[in-house]
Amino acid sequence: MKRKTRNFYIYVNLGLVALVPFGLICLARHRRTTTPRWAIIQDLDKQPYYKPQRPSKFFADGRAMRPHIPGTLAQQDFIYVNQAETRAHPHNWAKGHVVLSHQKIYDAILYGQKLVHGQGQWLTHIPIPLTKRFVERGQVKFNIFCEPCHGYDGRGNGPVNQWDQKLRREGSPAAGNWVPPSDLLGPGVAFLSDGMIYNIATNGVGTMASYKDQIPVVDRWAIVSYVRALERSQKVVPVGKLPYPIRTTLKPLKVEAKPNEKAKS
Amino acid sequence: MSERPFFVFPKWSDWLTKVFVVSTLIIPIYLVILIAYGCSARTLNVNYAPRQPVPFSHALHAGKLGINCEYCHTDVARAAYAALPPTQTCLNCHSLIASKSRELQAVRNSYGTGKKSLAGMSIPWIKVDDLPDYVYFNHEAHINAGISCLVCHGKVNEMTRVYQAKPFNMAWCLNCHRNPAPFLRPRNQVTNLNWTGKNKVKLANDLGLTVQMLPHNLGKYLMKRYHIPSVKQLTDCETCHR
Repeated sequence: MKRKTRNFYIYVNLGLVALVPFGLICLARHRRTTTPRWAIIQDLDKQPYYKPQRPSKFFADGRAMRPHIPGTLAQQDFIYVNQAETRAHPHNWAKGHVVLSHQKIYDAILYGQKLVHGQGQWLTHIPIPLTKRFVERGQVKFNIFCEPCHGYDGRGNGPVNQWDQKLRREGSPAAGNWVPPSDLLGPGVAFLSDGMIYNIATNGVGTMASYKDQIPVVDRWAIVSYVRALERSQKVVPVGKLPYPIRTTLKPLKVEAKPNEKAKS
Repeated sequence: MSERPFFVFPKWSDWLTKVFVVSTLIIPIYLVILIAYGCSARTLNVNYAPRQPVPFSHALHAGKLGINCEYCHTDVARAAYAALPPTQTCLNCHSLIASKSRELQAVRNSYGTGKKSLAGMSIPWIKVDDLPDYVYFNHEAHINAGISCLVCHGKVNEMTRVYQAKPFNMAWCLNCHRNPAPFLRPRNQVTNLNWTGKNKVKLANDLGLTVQMLPHNLGKYLMKRYHIPSVKQLTDCETCHR
């Protein structure tokens, strides 16, 4: 072999060897690693202060965040209640709402109860003025926190319930002792007062868990308002059962049949 | 009589030129490219997927069941930190479904200790998407400005084990801070990770009227609607570092 061709092969081989590290890096890029990256230079990435939900060696439970003390409110909740209270001025209230004294509004908003002759009574109305925005907020929160079990329509067939039914059909032991969630549009909820529904969202009932740590006070009331709106939207009364004065005001709905439907008939 | 030069390089010294070229040009260029590629944030940070004490699958909970991100990460829209849920949230359902599962033993233990005393034992969860301590990221500000979870965390609803999807280096942050419009979406779609943004969007404007927006107008409109600060303000050092 000539010297030139020999040198050429050496260079080609060297070039190929030089590509190997790139190949290794490319592999490493596309593979999940369970170990964190190495940091040769720390660059103040880890500083001696506590971020939320970080461990601490100082406290016995090993957490830097301190637990919620029973009988107290978080400042955030307090702000929420205050806002609700200022908006709940009697002048803003719709007719028929129970007007509460300044002092009792806290009780009403926090516990869904008012005191009558020293005894707790469930509120019959939401103690926060109802606006379109408030009910829409309720819808958003309902779709986050209630929908997994009760479903978007509140009929009690949310995705979690469906999943459990699927597990049950497969005979999986994971199905457990799941109880299908209640129908929010049924009579069971319709007969509850607003205060009681609020109490259920707060403290749970039966197999339903408490949601007071997940949903702030005002959002829970907003959810109650949305549940009421859902009920009304589903309540269809036959025309014959409507009171006479209302029946006379109704006009028959003119529905224009679509061309393909006409063809069928 | 010809003059003899003072010094002549011998023939064998030719290889020195080759060594010189290789050592000053080829090797440094090769090393620079190698290090830039190998030590880039994309190589070092992305795809970190630690094994958690409980094999929680976002693909099942957020993907198949479609549970909203906010169901567990409740504080994301009103606090700087998107908190991990307490084990109580797990037991909302898992006290009934898969209540005897071996994988959930750690959750039940933690919940049990929490019932007995305030200082219940936490599950030592490993943080995946972590920023350096000199960056003050605020979830609330981003979520309320219409930046989706997807932009930073990737398609979490398809991850069986969560991995870091984005490099999280400063150049990557500035990518959006310099031109936020294409990353914006309506607030009610922020936690919807399947939103494509290819269709018309219906929005309520300041007066409560419904406005229809085409995808190519949406970013500009939302910049005004959500009061996104100017680029100068967004790229100010003090915005993220204090």
